[in-house]
Amino acid sequence: MIKQYVESAKKGAVDLLEQAHKALEETQKINKEYRYSAAFADPVAQAEKLQQQAKDGKAKGRLFGVFVSVKDNICVKGIESTASSAILKGYKPVFNATAVQKCIDEGAIILCKTVQDEFGFGGFSVNTGKGIEKPLNPIDRKRTCGGSSGGAAGLTKKATFPHLALAESTGGSIANPASFCGVAGLTPTYSRVSRYGLIDYANSLDKIGTMALNVNDAALLLEIISGHDPKDSTCSQLPVPSMADVPGVISGLRIGIVKEAFNEQMDNNVRKTILEAVYKLEQIGARRIELSLPLSMNYGLSSYYTLAMTEASTNLAKYCGLRYGASEQLSGTYNEYFSRVRTSQLGDEAKRRILLGTFARMAGHRDAFYTKAAQVRTKIIQEYHMAFKNVDVLITPTMPLVAPTFEELKQLTPLQHYMMDILTVPANLAGLPHISLPCGESNKLPIGIMITANHFQEQKMLQVSNALH
Amino acid sequence: MHFTENVIIGLEIHVQLNTQTKLFCSCPTNASEPNTAICPTCLGHPGSKPVLNEKALEFAAKLALALGCTIAPTVTFSRKTYFYPDLPKNFQTTQYEVPLGSNGAIVLDNGKVIHIQRVHVEEDPGALIHEAASVLIDYNRSGIPLCEIVTAPDMNSPAEAREFLKKLLNILGYLGVYDVNNGVVKADANISIKERNYTRVELKNITGFKEIERALQYEIERQKQNEVKLETRGWNAEKGVSIFMRSKETEEDYGYIVEPDLPVFEISSEWVRSVQQSIPELAEQRAARWIKDLSVDKDDARIIAANLDVAVLFETIAKQCEPIFSARWVRREVLRILNDERKELKETAFESSSLIKLFKLILEKKITDRIGQRIIEQLATKKFLPAAYVKENNLAMVADEGALKNACKNAIKNNPKAVEDYKKGEEKSLMFLIGQVMRATKGTAAPNVVKELLKGLLK
Repeated sequence: MIKQYVESAKKGAVDLLEQAHKALEETQKINKEYRYSAAFADPVAQAEKLQQQAKDGKAKGRLFGVFVSVKDNICVKGIESTASSAILKGYKPVFNATAVQKCIDEGAIILCKTVQDEFGFGGFSVNTGKGIEKPLNPIDRKRTCGGSSGGAAGLTKKATFPHLALAESTGGSIANPASFCGVAGLTPTYSRVSRYGLIDYANSLDKIGTMALNVNDAALLLEIISGHDPKDSTCSQLPVPSMADVPGVISGLRIGIVKEAFNEQMDNNVRKTILEAVYKLEQIGARRIELSLPLSMNYGLSSYYTLAMTEASTNLAKYCGLRYGASEQLSGTYNEYFSRVRTSQLGDEAKRRILLGTFARMAGHRDAFYTKAAQVRTKIIQEYHMAFKNVDVLITPTMPLVAPTFEELKQLTPLQHYMMDILTVPANLAGLPHISLPCGESNKLPIGIMITANHFQEQKMLQVSNALH
Repeated sequence: MHFTENVIIGLEIHVQLNTQTKLFCSCPTNASEPNTAICPTCLGHPGSKPVLNEKALEFAAKLALALGCTIAPTVTFSRKTYFYPDLPKNFQTTQYEVPLGSNGAIVLDNGKVIHIQRVHVEEDPGALIHEAASVLIDYNRSGIPLCEIVTAPDMNSPAEAREFLKKLLNILGYLGVYDVNNGVVKADANISIKERNYTRVELKNITGFKEIERALQYEIERQKQNEVKLETRGWNAEKGVSIFMRSKETEEDYGYIVEPDLPVFEISSEWVRSVQQSIPELAEQRAARWIKDLSVDKDDARIIAANLDVAVLFETIAKQCEPIFSARWVRREVLRILNDERKELKETAFESSSLIKLFKLILEKKITDRIGQRIIEQLATKKFLPAAYVKENNLAMVADEGALKNACKNAIKNNPKAVEDYKKGEEKSLMFLIGQVMRATKGTAAPNVVKELLKGLLK
């Protein structure tokens, strides 16, 4: 879809200015009802430049004229980027994230920033920062759109103009909202995409990924933003394979069904829908192999939350009202001032994670929590590597249920909130590439199927995705 | 650890490595205007990432190897978290789990071995500037590479601590990894005394190797006269006192975690070998070799060896010119001029070839010492051939008695008081008269000839 649009835009067959006005108006209109956008860029000015290029016959780029929204924790030069936290209010980065720059280099038009859980701390976009309204599910406004990339998923579902979303996942923040909103969400292998310009949640887990209405558009964007970047020392040097339009041929492909994932707590409709999809894949040549991932499924959550919170507690230390973002009247010692700013500007969940994460790395607790969690992660990665000797991809539902209502969420304790990530967290912890695709409905609410591949095997999950659709 | 000595001292030293750029970004390290050498990374902006300056790692490895340390096979960095306005990220990126170098030593002149437990690299915070009613922050320093050197508690007196630090600074300068003139060296000391059951006090913020002796002397006296608690104190150089900072019970917990924005750096044995090969023969070994093989005076050897460039210059000269003589002249003249002018050898016009020619003129008694000194001053600022210069300016030594007799007679005639004193037995007065003759001959008179002439005339 995007490809055809880009081709005609390059030929000058699309009025980009008109498109930009339309995209801006529509996004603002959606925003009034669903609250997906944070700061807006200047799409019209960008479109004007591109329009001129098209007239001059100089149009180039695989995203020429495509509107890209950017999750609020990914820096866009000159556009307020707060990771949906009040403590970064007014902060305008002086540089573009590498992923954003790559989009611009391919002719994309940056549209707006999208709302998220504060710093990525949540799975339902209800933990937006102080003063930021929580986004609503595009299908039913009484329900969550999932999180933390909730704004990205909601806007992707609603936008009728050519739109792609840059999102980010630490523990499931792409797959989860993609599932609840009924869009395709791609999370690459950890280190496949440069994190330069990504406002850190947990550096060893954060992955910039993509969302679109269909797999191939999301895959095209992922292919574009992937690749080595000297500005991120952890970024992989491996060559980037072609991701867009991977043929959906799966003859002989081995699909692993994780036993623990289909337990009795799962919504029946969800279970049935996913198993039907697997059956369909078997019909067209795939082999189904049942397997067990006891470590990942039993200890993944604890290991993930310990590591994520520990790293987060150090990442958030810099936000103290001194150099950028929110500030207050100076008074007292620096400690009193920092505490006052952090107390008033950070949300409850951010504070909870700072406290738990700090506790987990203090002398006396460090070995029992932080170090142990890191060891468990290594074991889990080994467990996955063993599993991938016998299967090519793993299939589970993305979420154990369809999007809950805000009323239902209120009944949950923080721990129950964390438990909802049981299926998305292990793959994220292990840094494995995964995709969530719309796969049927339950009471008109979308169900997501999650396909996970081994490290740097994005093509395999795309093969299966394209076979399903 | 079981102690028996009266005083136990261990040091933790921080020195700035003189790289061109900062440890984790490409900002320059030599900016002077506040907050001009800064970028998103060294300001800790959201989304910025560190990229290791491998030169800093190389410099630190050079020091570690020169101190005889073992280099770790992998290097990881850690986050040391604490809140302070000069620390942009509110954590410092440092090395915690495994230091770059461990198990080294420096040997003091008395033969005592001071063990070095660890050598690691870390980033410097910014600088707080206290003004009347406010505090300003300059982040130019933020991210400048530091090397931390931690010793075992092997020193037993402030003088030993001073000697250790001096030796360390000498090695640093020699390796070219530290700016001897502008570099900052800071030490924290752990100090305890027998009389107080070795209750340990940490004394922080001692700047420079001269301060260390003074601070430790003060602290030992303080401990002798007061009850000692396990605590951290700060050295106030202005007032010359140590001030209570915090007790060990409320010691900060830095909650170290591995720096997840940096990979594990593998250190290859080839790399270690190439760093090892770049280390010049160190000052002490060099001086010892000169004393043994060339019979150079001990003090001359040590002083010349302390300056790498001058040491290299001396070695070139000593290959063609008598070493003992050359050493004396290099130390007394070349080094003196460098000290007076506060210049590095590279900043002068000195070169071995003209110095060799000059020294030979002096050795062959073609010019006097005094003329030699005058020419060496000139050689510091411009290049020329000493022999031609001597000829042009009529500076050749005059040893002919006939030619000097008149000058001697004049000196006697014009200085009756000195003549009188000499006759009373004051040898000094003869020296004075020789000086008068030297002046009259513009320094060209052979002093021994003049001396004999004067003695004869005054009989």
